[in-house]
Amino acid sequence: MRPPAPPEPDVAQATKLHTQGSFTITSRKLPISKAGPISAMESRLHIPIPEMIFGDNLVSVVHRPSGWSVSFSAEPALDLVNKTGENMLQVAHAKDWTSSRENSSAVGIREVVRPFDWTYSTSYRGTEVRGRDGKGLEASGKQIPLELLKRRDPILFFDEVMLYESELDDNGISLVSVKLRVMEQRMLLLCRQFMRVDGVLVRVRDTRVYVDFVKDEVIREYTAKEDKFDNVKKNLMMTGLGPDAVTVAMRDSNQIANLLPVVEHQLESIDLVA
Amino acid sequence: MSDLDKAIAQLRACRPIPEAQVRELCHKARELLIEEGNVVTVTAPVTICGDIHGQFHDLMELFRVGGDVPDTNYLFMGDFVDRGFYSLESFLLLLCLKVRYPDRMTLIRGNHESRQITTVYGFYDECLRKYGSANVWRYCCDVFDYLALGAIVLGASNTLSPASDSATTAQEYIDEDIEIEVCNSDGAIMSRFPRQRNPAGAASALGQQRQRSPNGNAGSSPGSSPSAGASAAPSNNGSVGKTGPPGSGASGSSGGTVGNPAGAVLCVHGGLSPLIDTVDKIRLLDRKQEVPHEGAMCDLLWSDPDEIDGWGLSPRGAGFLFGADIVKHFNHRNDLSLIARAHQLVMEGFKEMFDASIVTVWSAPNYCYRCGNVAALLELSEDGSGLGAFARSNGDVNRSDGGSGAAEKNSVLMEGPARRYRVFQAAPQDSRGMPAKKPVADYFL
Repeated sequence: MRPPAPPEPDVAQATKLHTQGSFTITSRKLPISKAGPISAMESRLHIPIPEMIFGDNLVSVVHRPSGWSVSFSAEPALDLVNKTGENMLQVAHAKDWTSSRENSSAVGIREVVRPFDWTYSTSYRGTEVRGRDGKGLEASGKQIPLELLKRRDPILFFDEVMLYESELDDNGISLVSVKLRVMEQRMLLLCRQFMRVDGVLVRVRDTRVYVDFVKDEVIREYTAKEDKFDNVKKNLMMTGLGPDAVTVAMRDSNQIANLLPVVEHQLESIDLVA
Repeated sequence: MSDLDKAIAQLRACRPIPEAQVRELCHKARELLIEEGNVVTVTAPVTICGDIHGQFHDLMELFRVGGDVPDTNYLFMGDFVDRGFYSLESFLLLLCLKVRYPDRMTLIRGNHESRQITTVYGFYDECLRKYGSANVWRYCCDVFDYLALGAIVLGASNTLSPASDSATTAQEYIDEDIEIEVCNSDGAIMSRFPRQRNPAGAASALGQQRQRSPNGNAGSSPGSSPSAGASAAPSNNGSVGKTGPPGSGASGSSGGTVGNPAGAVLCVHGGLSPLIDTVDKIRLLDRKQEVPHEGAMCDLLWSDPDEIDGWGLSPRGAGFLFGADIVKHFNHRNDLSLIARAHQLVMEGFKEMFDASIVTVWSAPNYCYRCGNVAALLELSEDGSGLGAFARSNGDVNRSDGGSGAAEKNSVLMEGPARRYRVFQAAPQDSRGMPAKKPVADYFL
């Protein structure tokens, strides 16, 4: 027996579909997962699941004629989190914490429980399913046409979908969410991870998927950026913000993203014209 | 109407009170809190609540579901502020109620009741926004330093008393030996779980294993044979070990007297600490300070239970995790039947772990206005035998009550009190005076 669950969310009702050209775009938003699905996911992934896990949420872009698709959901994103504990970050006060514990009776407690990347940093770029012809995204030099995206073409379909979020036990934040906007001739999808360990490090990892509905062409761009927490703060200060505004800005990936140096960049594309 | 009642009325309408009034309120609250010990003694009946996080309208919903103050005796386990939009109104209302009805309102400290955390997670900004200066934030932080670190609930019953609007009679609860009842926000019963008297009955209630460890075998003590327990009225329910006041470590062997109707319940925001093996050690801490980065006080507000053996270090490099054996040993040593804590979001509003020796209670529905989770309250009813009547105490006064319930040390794990969880959802959107949050289409790049 289990405690009574809140009323079952209606999956169909929570799913929105939009068709544009040869593409079908789907977004689904539901509450965070319940205890049962969480423990099932935990046993599949072998890491503790972040407390805000939107396990049923989904964004997908399907090219109907070929069957090619790219989709975004929480579990495959979490599956890419480092599960070994290599290069693990530590919270800002970890040094104080361990040194001052050495004289205490707690000294016997040295074992780190299930080491893993507790910042839930992921290199997730979406889950790709190749077309029936076997074609998939390949490295290319094609750039996303930013100028076209800056035009104020009417937005026909817009959504923002959370995949997961952790408060890192009040040591910062790590969240992955997907935004998408569909215009008549093109769409842009941005899957962003924003990760901040207070006093230590800030990361922004962006996956952009650009679809040209006229040319049936998709470009995927992955950009990983990061910098030390203090550098980001300093750079925000240099933009003329006061200390309180800096604190607020440190919580807003949009204000920070442009200040962070790029550490990894990759471009891929696929031409889906039959 | 006194100024305090006026302030309560104003805050109930979600309108902040003037800075001068906040100052006065915080001053009064501090005078009151300074008299409380690190571990406050609370007598059942009591309604235990978890994190609120500035979700003012949901706090109003909580009072609707759980009953209003002072009709209901409340115990809030911290994290009143941060993340939600109305930390200020939520905390000040709770504080006003504390000052107005000190014996009906217990507030203990959460890890967010700290200067450092509130500067990062919203409360500081909110004060600045609503008052134009950080003064109110400072007054509140000074109060935080005086909040108790934990509470002990005494006199909780092994059987539930009927919910006010339930058709069930008290006798039915006793006859059916209901240990856990889950109600929805209208008081309708969603599910019930009878007490597992049979030690071999590893039947899984609440989705967890409930078999008892050999020395925690409820059936092994003479007074708790299944038959005796099943038919016992609370007054002669002998299924519980005979205990001294929890935390006293009293080991008198006067025997003969009947002990607490149910073992005591320790309430704390986070969890246990490897530096704390008895409740009395919590009483010895110097709490009147900012939450430190390490040490026992820090652990009580930060640590988490986990499915591990013994103690573990969090992968973050700071913070402890503790397993079932730690909880059971601590409960046994301190004559506790249950630890109630908050601190972690649980989708169902509450989560019992480790053979119901610890429960997480979460009282912020639709957390951060986007998680879609339900919240819960934990109600412990009053034992009708009269044996549970302990004077409310501040400080260490109640460390020993002279042995009226002196412990006869045996190896029986204390039987948990009967528990009623009231599960509730976020307040309806229209009560918030703000539009439903819809994604706003923007030309992001």
